[in-house]
Amino acid sequence: MLKIRLVFNIFLVFALLLLSGCAVNRATATVTPGMNFKNVKSFYVMKQSNDSRGIEKLISDNLVKRGLRSSYGSQPTQVDAVVTYVDKWMWDMTMYLLELTVTVRNPSTNFPMAEGNSFHTSLTRKSPEEMVDEVMTNIFNKTE
Amino acid sequence: MQKKPSRRHPSAFFVCILPFCALLLGGCASQTTHQGMTPEIIDTFNKKYSHTVSLGITGGKQTESTGTPQISDIEFKQALLDAINKSKIFSGVIEGNAGEYLLTVTLFNLEQPMIGLSFTVKMEAGWTLKRISDGVVVWQESIESEHTATVGDAFAAVTRLRLATEGAARNNISQGLSKISKLGTI
Repeated sequence: MLKIRLVFNIFLVFALLLLSGCAVNRATATVTPGMNFKNVKSFYVMKQSNDSRGIEKLISDNLVKRGLRSSYGSQPTQVDAVVTYVDKWMWDMTMYLLELTVTVRNPSTNFPMAEGNSFHTSLTRKSPEEMVDEVMTNIFNKTE
Repeated sequence: MQKKPSRRHPSAFFVCILPFCALLLGGCASQTTHQGMTPEIIDTFNKKYSHTVSLGITGGKQTESTGTPQISDIEFKQALLDAINKSKIFSGVIEGNAGEYLLTVTLFNLEQPMIGLSFTVKMEAGWTLKRISDGVVVWQESIESEHTATVGDAFAAVTRLRLATEGAARNNISQGLSKISKLGTI
């Protein structure tokens, strides 16, 4: 009985810790000073090893929608930039994308050229497509 | 027969008090400090450049009270400045762009856990060292670092997360200056 109560108490603390941040929204982008994006026209989106939801396809599709060349899957020999990402998912009735960080990198040095991040907790959740679009829009707005 | 005095079970008290503690702890993210991000020991192999340097930090964020501890440009810059002064790797740090070299650090990819007992925070920063006189980039590298804070470091989760974040930044500064010391002649 005491064990059940202890587990309940611990669960309560964690649940409240999560709930206390239930309306947090953040959308930011950072560009390395001096980076020139004018000549960056082709991208390769590298799949994150833990991702089973196909975020790499969403990012690649979003780049294509913007009139750029982009691919995922097998890596092409020459591209202007490699895109990596970190997606964090959370459960609240259903699974939702809590945070997405996308980094555009120099393909030869792996040096980060730009990064965008979106963070939306449950009440203001967005679909993965919307999150990807928000992040990419912020990155491209910052590079202009 | 004497009646045994009734006594409330202590766990009822904890059930009531814990949510309030959790709410307080969960809603009070504290800003990382430059003191926490300044490395104590920097392995620069006793290398001392006779040049001055200016610092430029971008990509940092302010901590929101309802969010997680973030690294601000100002605090990171102060930590880097203190570390350079402590290690004496450059002859001096000059405000603005008046130094002989410009060291730019762009903060990327701060990865913080949402839950857990041990918090491991990972971060990445793009370091660029540029010679001001001719604009040549003498060194550019992306440095990844991490730090784990345990319950032994701090019981409150927000404090533990701040300590892990500061530790990751501290390791990044330490690695960055160590790599600069290995450049040889700049």
